[in-house]
Amino acid sequence: MTKLLEISDLTLSFKELFATTDVLHGISLSIAAGERVALVGESGSGKSVTARIILGLLQETKTAHITGDVVFEGKDISGMVRRDRARLRGTEMSMIFQDPTSSLNPTFTIGRQFIEILRRRDGNRAKADCLLRATEMLDEVSIPNPERVLASYAFQLSGGMNQRVMIAMALANQPKLLLADEPGTALDVSVQAQTLDLMRNMVTDHRTAVLFISHNLGVVREFADRVFVIYRGNIVEDGPTAAIFADPRHAYTRALMSAVPRITGAGLPEVPEVSEAFLAPQISHGDVA
Amino acid sequence: MQSPVLRLLMRRLGISLIVLIGVSMLIFSIARVIPGDPARIALGPNATTEQVANLRAEMHLDDSLVVQYGHFVADVARGDLGMSLYTNRPVTLDIAQFLPATLELVLFAGVIMVACGLPLGILAARHKGRWQDNLVRLFTLLTVSAPSFVWAVILMLLFAFYLPLFPIAGRISDIYEIERVTGFLTIDTLLSGNLLAFGNALSHLVLPACALALSGIGQAARLTRANMVETYDRPYIEMAQAYGFFPSRIARMYAFKPSLIPSLTIIGLDFAAMLGNAFLVEAVFAWPGLSRYGVAVILRKDLNAIMGTVLVIALTFLIVNIIVDLLIAFLNPRIRHSTRASL
Ligand SMILES: Nc1ncnc2c1ncn2[C@@H]1O[C@H](COP(=O)(O)OP(=O)(O)OP(=O)(O)O)[C@@H](O)[C@H]1O
Ligand SMILES: [Mg+2]
Repeated sequence: MTKLLEISDLTLSFKELFATTDVLHGISLSIAAGERVALVGESGSGKSVTARIILGLLQETKTAHITGDVVFEGKDISGMVRRDRARLRGTEMSMIFQDPTSSLNPTFTIGRQFIEILRRRDGNRAKADCLLRATEMLDEVSIPNPERVLASYAFQLSGGMNQRVMIAMALANQPKLLLADEPGTALDVSVQAQTLDLMRNMVTDHRTAVLFISHNLGVVREFADRVFVIYRGNIVEDGPTAAIFADPRHAYTRALMSAVPRITGAGLPEVPEVSEAFLAPQISHGDVA
Repeated sequence: MQSPVLRLLMRRLGISLIVLIGVSMLIFSIARVIPGDPARIALGPNATTEQVANLRAEMHLDDSLVVQYGHFVADVARGDLGMSLYTNRPVTLDIAQFLPATLELVLFAGVIMVACGLPLGILAARHKGRWQDNLVRLFTLLTVSAPSFVWAVILMLLFAFYLPLFPIAGRISDIYEIERVTGFLTIDTLLSGNLLAFGNALSHLVLPACALALSGIGQAARLTRANMVETYDRPYIEMAQAYGFFPSRIARMYAFKPSLIPSLTIIGLDFAAMLGNAFLVEAVFAWPGLSRYGVAVILRKDLNAIMGTVLVIALTFLIVNIIVDLLIAFLNPRIRHSTRASL
């Protein structure tokens, strides 16, 4: 199977004036077209930076030192010039964020933001045409009265509504890869579950590959085909979701599973203890059969 | 949809009226406790006691302060600011003559402040920590470190004296006879179709306006930079980056507008402060504005003229503030749509 995204031996360190922090220690990860992959790990393990590297954003940060290959559709993103990387964002890849309401611009209407995003694909697309497409997308995420929503600002809508809007925006340009960094963890649990369901249906319909980033193994189980567990910048275990849940072999994965997600806050799991065994080498369950 | 803005406007107008009344009472009382008899000053040392007494009666100076204020308010309501003892003309006429010069100067300086200050702030924020940022910070520190009349003298020496690029003083060269329509020379010269005169008036305006604007440019740039740096940390900027918009577009569209909203109030105040600073700048450039008149009437205890000048300045101040508030309401959808969309 050809891979949509292939990351190999990716390292990242931040070189600051007096110190160098190594954040990623050579991780490898791949996503096939249309596949749903989860990246799970505790806070600070390097999930968001991985997403930012895939998007080509961190490459533009001066202090970030990156080695390894990130190949998207056969082309190496790290070797690209800035402009070519930017061209992929919002067209072939898009991203959904943690807090939908504060991720939408407070000074533009939803409709205006849709137009901007759709014009990433086709700079001359007529306004009316964009709004038509936006209405279509809002329909798909079961938003009643789309015209009304298009004329509204994010602060006039509920968090769950904004999350649907974000999903609609992210898929409006038919990207091949969707990055979802703890989507909706700022929302309350039932709304979060509802919108995750919706997102799963949407990406299945559109055959969009997803990199789903989460703290929560429970959420991942229902969503992902394959799981990568990351611990302190190392992938410690990977494999098909069913295989990992049936037979978690790495000590850290087991610890994550036995951890109870806290109800309050962002639902961060409390890993009972830190042990030497967490640093054991990567265990791979192989690909989806 | 209109009502929140309308409500805001009504509230601002109400507050402005209260402020105006307060200012007038304050100045009215202060003007009257300055030592010296205005009637005696006006009539000169040779006037008889009887003449002075007559003038005092005419000016209601022997009544109680409250009654005097009552007379004053009644007159103002009729649009009558009384006679100036200094020019022997109605105060309204004096103000109509001198105010446009000052307003023209301040408005022009305000435009310079916004047109230079905001882009400099955006530039610094976009290149935070790099040389562009450091350069802007150095420049703005320099501009705010000296008051505008010092800049007036420096600019005059540099660009009118050593390097005679601009005229040294006045509003326009004597050779031009321009019919007075608005009192704004840049407009009146255009109305008369005399482009040479327009250029001449404009070149007279440049140095005093720049001197007046400089510290405002510094403040506006620093404020814009600070607010934009803060905005750059917001999730919606990260989202815009994740959607691949050009950095310049992100700066102009996504980061600037939300940052401008908190800056505007201060910029409005800066603008109003320029009215005060204009007095000194006008003195340096012999600009025939309200300042010379204002200083002259205060020294002569010309009560009517003092009140008229102060009221006009307070009024301008309040109008600027209302315009700024409306601008903020226009830019900030949270004020325009203070209700949630009903779905
Ligand atoms: N721009 C940066 N400069 C320096 N260090 C950074 C930067 N961005 C991230 N880091 C560091 O990299 C590490 C990984 O950060 P990352 O945001 O990827 O964690 P995460 O796995 O997404 O955690 P969370 O679940 O809390 O979001 C953290 O220790 C963080 O402090
Ligand atoms: Mg993160």
